[in-house]
Formats: sequence, structure tokens, C-alpha cells
Amino acid sequence: MAGTRGTTRKSSGPAQKGTQKTLAFTNNKVTKPSAALPGKPSKLSQNIKSEIIKAEDIKSEIDSASQDLGHIDSAPAIERQAKAEIKNVKQGLKDGTRSAQEVRASKVSDEQIKKFWRDRERERLVPRVHMGGIPLEEKVCRFFDMSSEFGPCIGISRIRRWTRAQKLGLNPPIEVLAVLLKEEDKGNGRKIERAYIDELLNSWGGVSSEAQSG
Amino acid sequence: MAVPEDGNLLRGPSNTSHPALTRSTTSYIPHHNFSLAKEKQYQQQFADMYFYRLAILKPAVEKVAGEAWDGFQIGQDVVQKVDNVLGVRQGNLCWIIGTIFMDMPLKPNILDDISKDHWISAPAPREKYLSADGNDMIMLEDKSGRIRLVGHALENEMLVTGCIVAVMGTENSNGEFEVVDIKVPGLPPQSERWVQVKDEDEEMEDEKPMGNGSKMKDEDEDMEKPAPTSNGKKIAIVSGLGFSSTNSEHALELNLLSEFLLGEALDPVTQENVSQISRLIIAGNSIAVDLEATPHDTIGNTKKAAQKKYGYDSSAYNPTPTAHLDDFLVSLLPSLPVTLMPGYHDPANVSLPQQPIHSAMFPQARTYGAMPPGEDGKSTPGWFDTVTNPWAGEVEGWKVLGTGGQNVDDVFKYVEGEDRLGMMEAMCRWRCCAPTAPDTLWSYPFQFDDPFVLTSCPHLFFVGSQPKFDTAVIEGEDGQTVRLIAVPKFSETGEIVLVDSETLETSVVRFSVT
Repeated sequence: MAGTRGTTRKSSGPAQKGTQKTLAFTNNKVTKPSAALPGKPSKLSQNIKSEIIKAEDIKSEIDSASQDLGHIDSAPAIERQAKAEIKNVKQGLKDGTRSAQEVRASKVSDEQIKKFWRDRERERLVPRVHMGGIPLEEKVCRFFDMSSEFGPCIGISRIRRWTRAQKLGLNPPIEVLAVLLKEEDKGNGRKIERAYIDELLNSWGGVSSEAQSG
Repeated sequence: MAVPEDGNLLRGPSNTSHPALTRSTTSYIPHHNFSLAKEKQYQQQFADMYFYRLAILKPAVEKVAGEAWDGFQIGQDVVQKVDNVLGVRQGNLCWIIGTIFMDMPLKPNILDDISKDHWISAPAPREKYLSADGNDMIMLEDKSGRIRLVGHALENEMLVTGCIVAVMGTENSNGEFEVVDIKVPGLPPQSERWVQVKDEDEEMEDEKPMGNGSKMKDEDEDMEKPAPTSNGKKIAIVSGLGFSSTNSEHALELNLLSEFLLGEALDPVTQENVSQISRLIIAGNSIAVDLEATPHDTIGNTKKAAQKKYGYDSSAYNPTPTAHLDDFLVSLLPSLPVTLMPGYHDPANVSLPQQPIHSAMFPQARTYGAMPPGEDGKSTPGWFDTVTNPWAGEVEGWKVLGTGGQNVDDVFKYVEGEDRLGMMEAMCRWRCCAPTAPDTLWSYPFQFDDPFVLTSCPHLFFVGSQPKFDTAVIEGEDGQTVRLIAVPKFSETGEIVLVDSETLETSVVRFSVT
């Protein structure tokens, strides 16, 4: 911002003595005389504390009630998307409106998933590195994320991406759908629906504590 | 004029009754392809749109290219299909499918905005993005990567970012792909005139995977159809009405237009013709942009910050243009149904697809609007129908697709020449009515659908706010025909277009005050 012509501003170091009094912002505590008494806390402050606790509960309820449409961070939006889609898929499997592929997915066994992963590893010259601490479900899901023929994996829940690929006729592997449904049954739905790379790209300077740890 | 026998021109009212003309009606079914849900998600990237476009159009291009190039050979090489762009090997004659990306240094760039902060004024908006010294690069992109396209075959073909093509050629020593031939998807399948198309929602509801698409061509009807004859019913299309608070040069023409459409002007023969106009479609830009919107209460004192309440300066808003538009509409509506599409300058959202202008802007005209949806959730369109831009619908059985002009104006910036009708034809052949969205044309980030992709061929494709009127009929390989209409701006030319609803022939009516 250009300064007006009248005043020139010198960048000065510490204020020189005798020019202007400065306010001291250090070490001055202003304490109210009434609150410093030890002993039993007054009834008023206890009421206030309970009110504060109640307010925080409500706030956390509101947060989890997915009011956030995910404009800043995509996590809440993906969560909602995943919840809706899983409900759709499960309902469809019950009704018989889902495709034969998807019906097979609910019958896929753990052995089949392990075999699927072994086959993928065998396709490579060298096994994948740095995959030690990651459970098999997450490995399968990350493989699905990185398969670019099904579209971008960011900003979309994994189950939604699977159903989209299915509808476009791209033949996504049913083992991935099986893994996602199984994880949802175990209650891990929230953690597994979001692509790991989505979290990395959306994080602000550090991976959040909710990152995949297994 | 003959003087009567008694020499007196004064006489009482005559007893002859003049039959009142009634306006003809047409069947009208608007589609909601471009309506967005109220709660819009923005966490997704635009890459989803490009992915979807490629996934949908790839089979069509594959078919066209396969038929054309199957067994083609140059010298010893037989052409092969390669799945990935990066799978191309040097010296191998092959063909690949991908999305075109035009890398133009003159395209709007975020760095221009940043330089605006440092140097006072932004660089002037360019008419064309083409650079004079050939710095533009055409690239083909798919899920694996990009490759640059070079070759003489590119010069004859109109290409913009976002169109899906198949190219045949080989990689040269520079790592660029020398193009020998290009194929585009061509016109989509077209249904017969009165066949109703299922209303497609944004979410894909059907479970069947793509591949068994419905057959559109009817094999039995190969006999000669009689040439359509007109029964006189017409549809009027106008665009760029340009109601403004500062500029009223065309106010008289607007008045003449409403008198003409209401049948109040001219002689009874013309009025009978006018009574055949069954619908008016306003294709965008009904409000003119007001370039001098300054806050009114700080005139002469521009340094003082205008009082801001609720985060915007309410004194800069001028309600007169929308009030004038409302008056214009309410004078027409009792006798003529109106379809109103928003344009670039209208009070609707900026990014495509623009949602219908809110009925709060039309306090009088909204009484003619749609009734709230009934118990079954379906709503019938009202006499006054505010629709999206772009808009798809069925008028008198014909499938109509219309836009307010932003898509053609944007494609215009990518290609040489002024041939807007050629651009519209290219858009139909690319099967995408806004290929440059979301690159330079602002758009909603669609995740599960790209409604700009034409899955069925319209019979009538009109684009509003063009510099001059132009029309043509294009034909496809399977006998599809599309009537293209470029509707001129009424505020500049004073012209409206009348389309015959049987033959789809166009005529222009010009209003001018000299």
C-alpha cells in the first residue's frame, strides 16, 4: 500500500528513550479480586462450567451431524457420500437390484482377497516396498486408488468410485467392493472410505492424527 | 378513401364483429438435464469431469476410428490401436484416443491476477487466445499422460480443449506425435420426432452398465417419408434483450417487439401470422451489464468507503433493469408462454450450468410460473418457465438444445476465424456442447455425470447472443439432421428469429426505428 506524501515512516528499532511511552505487555496480570480465593469453588462458576460442558457436547454433535459440506476439507463430504452409497449398495443387495457382480462381492471370502493380492504382487518384477505396517484391506484399497483407469481417486469416497466405475462398464475388481463392505460391517467405514492420498494432499503441513495407522 | 354518399365521414360504431384471434398452442416438455441439486458439493476436482467425458465418448470414437482405419497401411506398416497415450513407440504407426488440451500462453492465467496486484491495471481481455508466433501447443491427454500433436492434418481440423478425438500417426524423433488423420465421434444417435426421451437425472439411476444402449434407429421405417409441410405454427427465439438502467437506445424496439408479439401491431393478415407464434424463448442476456455501477450516495466523495452492511454495498444495486424485464414479461405472459434462459449478464450464477433465474426477481411475472410440485413430486411447467442455461427440452416433439452463448463465445477464442456456425457444428460433431468447460469456461465440478455431453442428437440447436443471425442444417452419417441457429442480440440488431414448428425453417423479423 503506498503511503501518502505527508508522512514518512522510518523503520525504527527499539523505541528510543524519551520519545514516547510504550505500553508494557509483559508480566502484568490483571486479576479479579473475587476469583483468586482457594477453597470450595463458588456455585456460580460450577454452573458456568457445566454450561460450558453442555455447549461443547452440542458443538461436537453439530459437527458430526455433517453440516460441513466439505468446502475446506473433503473429509466430511466424503464421509456423507460413503454413508449414502453404502446404504444404497446394501439395500440394493437385499432387493436384488444390484448387478450380479456386486452380489458376488458380498460372498467373497478372505482367502479370495488374499489370493487377489498375491496375484497383483506377482504381476510386478519386485514386490511393493514400504507396505509393512499396512493391513491387507488398506493395501487392496490403495491399489484400487492408484488404478487410474477408474478415474481420479481424490474428492470421492472409494465405494462411490467403485460404483461409478461399475456403471461405466470399466470392470473394477469385486474384491475391492468386498473389502469395503467387510470393513463397513466391522465398523471401520469412516477410516477406509477416504483415499489415503486424498488426506495427504488436503493436509495442512502435517498428516493428521486420523491417518491410516492400521 | 371513398367518401360515402351522404358526404359525412362521421358515423357511429359499426356492428361488424371482429373475431378475436386465438394463439395456437404447442406441446412443451422441458428436460432437467442441467438442474443442479440444491446442496452442491465442491470437494471434488474437475478431473472427474474430464474422466467421465472420455469414458462416455471413447466407445463412440473407437467405433468411428476403427471403421475408418481398420487395415489401413502406409508403406509396410499396418496401423495398430494403442491403449495408452504413453504406449506410443517411435516409428510405429498407431492410433490413440484421448482428450485434446490446448496449451496456449495467452489463456487466462492466475498469474495475470497476481500481476494485477503489483502493477495497477490488469492486461486487457483478449479477443482470441491464439498467439501470433505459433506458441500454441496442441496435446492429447488420457489417463496415462500427454503427448504433443504436430502435423499438417491439424490445421484443417477445429480443435479446442476438451474434445475427444482419435488420432492416427506416429511418434517422431522429437517425441511429438505426427498426425496423419483425425476422427471425431460424429453426431450422436437421433430419435424420431415425437418419441419421448426419459428425463435424465444428474445421478445415474439405471444399473445396467453402458454397452446395451437403447436402439434409436428404427429399421422398419425405411420408406419414403413425405416432405414436412408447414402448418404455420412458429416458435419465436430472441436473445440479448438488454434491459438496462443506463442505456435505453433500444427501448422503442422493445416496445415494438411486445406489440408485435401480442398482435397489436400491423394489419390483420400479419396478426393472424403472429397468432401462430406459440412460444417465446428468451435465450439469455435479458439484463445488460452496467459498467458504471458506482455507489450513489458517495458521488464526489469516492475516497470515503461506502457504508457496507451485510458485507456488500447495497447502494450500488439498481433494481430498474429487472423491473423493466418484469414489466415486459408480464405484458406478454397472459397471451404467450415464455421460456426464460439466463445469460452471462443475467442475475444467475456465473458458472455453467446456470440455474434458473430466481422467481423473486419477477414479482409480477411469477404468478404465471409453475405450481409447486404435487403429491407425486412432479411439477408441470408453468406458462412462465425459468430454465437453466444450457437448456434441453421438447417443443412440439422436436428435441431442442439451447444455450445462452457462453459456450460458442469461448470456443471462438480458441480458433481462428469468425464462423460461429462452424463452431456450433463442430460442437455437435464432438458430441459436447461446452467442451472448453471447465478449462476456460467456468463450470460446476461434476463428479458422476457430464451433462454437456450430447447423448442424443437434438433436432434444433440454438445459441443466443451472437453478433449476427445465421442458420444451417447439418447432417450426420446415420441420417441425423440438426438445424443450427445463431440468434443475434436484440439490443444491437433488433432481430428475432421465428422457427416453423413443422419444417424447422427459420425467418427473421427485424424491428428498427429509423
